[in-house]
Amino acid sequence: MTTPKPFSLAKSRRIIQWMVVIGTLVIGLRHIMPGEASRGGSFDSFCAFGGIETILPYLFSGHMLKSTNLLNFSVLLGTLGVSLAAGRAFCGWLCGLGAIQDFVAEWTRKLFGEKQHIHGRQSKAILPLRLPAIVDRPLRYAKYLALLVILIASLYMAFPPLRDFCPVRAVFGLKMTTLLWITLAVFLAGSVLVERFWCKYLCPLGAALAIFNKISPMRLVMDNHHCNNCGRCDIECSMGIADVPHQLDHPECVRCMECLDTCARDGSLTLQIGYKENQI
Amino acid sequence: MKIHPRYYPAIIITAYVIFLLIGILLGFGPERGGEGQGRNALMQFACSTLGMPT
Repeated sequence: MTTPKPFSLAKSRRIIQWMVVIGTLVIGLRHIMPGEASRGGSFDSFCAFGGIETILPYLFSGHMLKSTNLLNFSVLLGTLGVSLAAGRAFCGWLCGLGAIQDFVAEWTRKLFGEKQHIHGRQSKAILPLRLPAIVDRPLRYAKYLALLVILIASLYMAFPPLRDFCPVRAVFGLKMTTLLWITLAVFLAGSVLVERFWCKYLCPLGAALAIFNKISPMRLVMDNHHCNNCGRCDIECSMGIADVPHQLDHPECVRCMECLDTCARDGSLTLQIGYKENQI
Repeated sequence: MKIHPRYYPAIIITAYVIFLLIGILLGFGPERGGEGQGRNALMQFACSTLGMPT
C-alpha cells in the first residue's frame, strides 16, 4: 500500500504558473495572427496594468488610451479581487512575469552550482544574488516612483506609457521592436542577477497592489510558541524579505506561501482569515 | 479562522474569476476592433429593475 504524497503548495504554484505562462503565450500567439482587430482587441487589452494606465484618461475625458479596451478593467478587477482576498497573491501565483522570473531563478541556480534544491537550505549557487540592504532598500522605492510617473504620463499620452518598454509584451507579445528586444534583454539579465528583479524594483502593478497586504483578510499568522526563528523561510523568500515570521504583512510579500511550505515546525505559520487582533 | 493551505490556490483562482466575470457583466468586456464602449449588461439589468432609463 502506498502512502499519499503530502500536499505541496510549491508544486501547486508551479503548475498554476506554467498554466499562466502557456495561457499568456497563447494570447500573444493569437495576436500575431492575421485579423487581430476582429479578436477582441489587442494583446494589451488582456493586461491588468493596462487598466491602471488607462483609468485616469477614461475618468477625466471618457476616452481610453489606444490599444487598451474595456476588457482591461475586467482583468484589473479580477486582479483587485485576488488582492482584496489575499494581498499580492496575484504577483506570486497568477502573474506571467513573476512565473518567468521564478523559472529563470531556478534555472540560474542550477546553472551556477546548485545540483539539487533542498527546501530551507541556503543555495550554493553564486547567482542569483541578494543585494545588500543598503542598495536593495532604496531601489525598492523605484517601483512606486514608476507607478506615479506612469499615472501622470497616462493623462498626456495616446498609448499606455509603459507600452514600448513593457516586459510582458517583450516576453509574451511576440511582436518585437528594438525597444522590446532591449527590454527583454534587461529583464532576463536582471532576473539572472537578482531573483524577482522586476517585482522587487520596477513593477508598477506590484506597487499598486502592495497596500492590499495590509488590508486583505486572508493572511499568514505566526505562532511565537512554535516558531524557533530557524530562518528557513528567510532563505526561501524569493522577494528577499528579512525576518519573514515577523514581516508576514510586508508590502513586498507576494504571498507565494513558500515560507509556509518550507516551515518544518507544525503550527508555526498558519493560514487564517481574520485581522490583526487574532494574531497569536 | 484557520484555512488548510490546500484550499489557497482554489480561493485565489476563484476570487480572480468571480471578479473578472463581474467586470465583464458590468460591461467591461472584450470589444471587437479595439477600443469601444461596453454593453454594461449588469447596469442595464439594474436600471430596468429600478425603472430607470438606460
